[in-house]
Amino acid sequence: MSETLISIEPTREKQTKLVELASQSIPAATLPFSRSISFQKIPTKSPPPLQASSTQLQPMEELPPKLQEIIKLFQSVEEPKAKYEQLMFYGKNLNPLDTQFKTRENKVEGCVSQVWVRAYLDQDKNVFYQADSDSVLTKGLAALLVNGLSGRPVQEVLRISPDFAVLLGLQQSLTPSRNNGFLNMLKLMQRKALELLIEAEKGDGSSGNGQIANDNSEKPVENSTSDSKVDEDSGVGFSSSKNGEDSSSGLGSRGTRIKKKLEKELSPIELEVEDVSYQHAGHAGVRGSDGETHFNVRIVSKEFEGKSLVKRHRLIYGLLDEELQTGLHALSIVAKTPSEVEAK
Amino acid sequence: MMEGVVVKLPSFPFLYPTVSPSSPNCRLGFRRFSAPLSAAVKEGSVSLGHSTRPDFPILHQKVNGSNLVYLDNAATSQKPTAVLKALQDYYETYNSNVHRGIHYLSAKATDEYELARKKVAAFINASDSTEIVFTRNATEAINLVAYSWGLSNLRPGNEIILSIAEHHSAIVPWQIVAKITGAILRFVSLDENEVPDVEELRGMISERTKLVVVHHVSNVLGSVLPIEDIVIWAHAVGAKVLVDACQSVPHMVVDVQGLDADFLVASSHKMCGPTGVGFLFGKSNLLLDMPPFLGGGEMISDVFLDHSTYAEPPSRFEAGTPAIGEAIGLGAAIDYLSGIGMQKIHDYEMELANYLYEKLCSVPNIRIYGPKPSDNIHRAALCSFNVENIHPTDLATFLDQQHGVAIRSGHHCAQPLHRHLGVNASARASLHFYNTREDVDEFIRSLDDTVSFFNSFK
Repeated sequence: MSETLISIEPTREKQTKLVELASQSIPAATLPFSRSISFQKIPTKSPPPLQASSTQLQPMEELPPKLQEIIKLFQSVEEPKAKYEQLMFYGKNLNPLDTQFKTRENKVEGCVSQVWVRAYLDQDKNVFYQADSDSVLTKGLAALLVNGLSGRPVQEVLRISPDFAVLLGLQQSLTPSRNNGFLNMLKLMQRKALELLIEAEKGDGSSGNGQIANDNSEKPVENSTSDSKVDEDSGVGFSSSKNGEDSSSGLGSRGTRIKKKLEKELSPIELEVEDVSYQHAGHAGVRGSDGETHFNVRIVSKEFEGKSLVKRHRLIYGLLDEELQTGLHALSIVAKTPSEVEAK
Repeated sequence: MMEGVVVKLPSFPFLYPTVSPSSPNCRLGFRRFSAPLSAAVKEGSVSLGHSTRPDFPILHQKVNGSNLVYLDNAATSQKPTAVLKALQDYYETYNSNVHRGIHYLSAKATDEYELARKKVAAFINASDSTEIVFTRNATEAINLVAYSWGLSNLRPGNEIILSIAEHHSAIVPWQIVAKITGAILRFVSLDENEVPDVEELRGMISERTKLVVVHHVSNVLGSVLPIEDIVIWAHAVGAKVLVDACQSVPHMVVDVQGLDADFLVASSHKMCGPTGVGFLFGKSNLLLDMPPFLGGGEMISDVFLDHSTYAEPPSRFEAGTPAIGEAIGLGAAIDYLSGIGMQKIHDYEMELANYLYEKLCSVPNIRIYGPKPSDNIHRAALCSFNVENIHPTDLATFLDQQHGVAIRSGHHCAQPLHRHLGVNASARASLHFYNTREDVDEFIRSLDDTVSFFNSFK
């Protein structure tokens, strides 16, 4: 099946959409694909021992681009107080929500403060949001979601798992009850998007799957500095099996090239390149390639001083552009400066 | 620190305050008044807060990088090591099921459990320990009265009087039972001092009234109601009074005989005892006439296939295995509190209450709910408040994250009250005898910082 497809991501997105829609009990007739497909989700590290707080995160590439930007921004802000300021800044710049939309149907349940969210589609069936809240921190959270999700296709919005909140680093800054409000905000936004889509599709009678094709096809996987794991959808054939220990035994040709390039250009004091392609062996995206598709890179270099997280990652992608064009599927990057490493 | 047996003192009479209705929200210069100070609060000696703090291990920790300042005692209190030890002791040395056992452990567990019941009875000056029913908490105790006494005594058209400031647990069970029985709920509003209007309540009591449900101390307003008077008015028409004493029993002397209350409820976890246990006080003659609430083991006398006979109170209302260890823990908490002396605790908390109120007044644009303290009006050591243009949840979050100060934000299980006050939520700081003036200082300092932070953003 995969041989007939042009690029890797659309398959996965279609599969994900299938699972998502299926889990929301939509009659099969409206589903764009009726065959059942199983696929593996990709863990980026070996699973930690089971803790109450461990969550498996969905890959960043599946999140809407603006949301990824927001996440990176929050990750680069370390101090909690500054995170609040950032959050409030978002809230401040949120477009006001007209009073007529502050209805019961638009109110987010389970919020200690009052939050309203309004959703509408444009003619391409991208969903747009507006929101408001009487609490500035909650308004900030709402703004974060509004900015991150607006203008995106419904399917993409539906795919979002709320675990990305961990990546923001706000989870510690926000109490569970507020986090629940965040969760409920996202759920409401997803529910509204779906409802609008169903309405729209009823209206024009198409099966509405045109938007899937171009999303995030070239976005490489980015790893935050915190432990992250990939979300496991229910009903999909994937076992959270042990992924084995780090085995850097013998990098293949690509792995060696990556290592050499990074050594040459960044003069790192520490560099680890790990081929984890085997973890993705069952993944539809790599079927048909010759391995060497997924790598973990840990690099400590002075070159990163003064550069934000985003810039560091962009630098590395830039250096490895040729590899990315020729079959390197994803990089999981930890990029630090020497002083950051010493500060531990 | 043995102060001897708890002294019976009159409850605070509610007289019309000397404050005029048009006073500003917060008089900054109000005369500092205090009840006569007991020995331990005199100048120069260690305050009760400082002397008891070492007994509470949980208070000595850092949260989010700052020292914990725990000001959410109205939600739940902390437990002294004596209570923790009693629990551990129970489970380590004599845990066993109560009442029916023959063997040594069971006999000991039963003895201690029943001793805890006696302690509760003595603590609130009930005439007999059979008037104390152990429940899961005060909420369950109110439900017990509602379903047992309420369903068998209420007829269509009967009236139940409550205040709009009641806790949800004191309102909802009666809504349910009223619906079933056809009884009517009537609510007393607040007067100009932001306390339940006692005169309005008096006026509402009529021959149709069967029950008055009131709090002793309000968990939002900090006000104290004149229970003795209310009981007199209610009894004059043959109505019963259910007192929600959750916020009074932990903080002051409560004497059910002095109040002449028919029913009184409280929760262990608010009075330095463990969670999972609370109690209902009910006058013997009332309990004897009440049908069971929950059915099962322990509350029966004989069980046949087609019917059963029931035990005498209090067992009649204690179905199944009780929270044995927890009840014993409550007994230990009562021992600890009695060791300090409830009057001493009350006096200290009055000082702290005034200090808190006074300092809070200094925060710009603050609105504190409830009455202003005066010669005649005493507030409990809690303040619910709002700061203009800042959501209370934002305040509470920032206080916690940046300063380790724990307060509560929300409706505090009093939505009707908040609706009346015209707000969705409020912040609340509530103290207990192990809090200190320094706790209040730290709270105010942190609150000022928080308010500045949010104001600078506008």
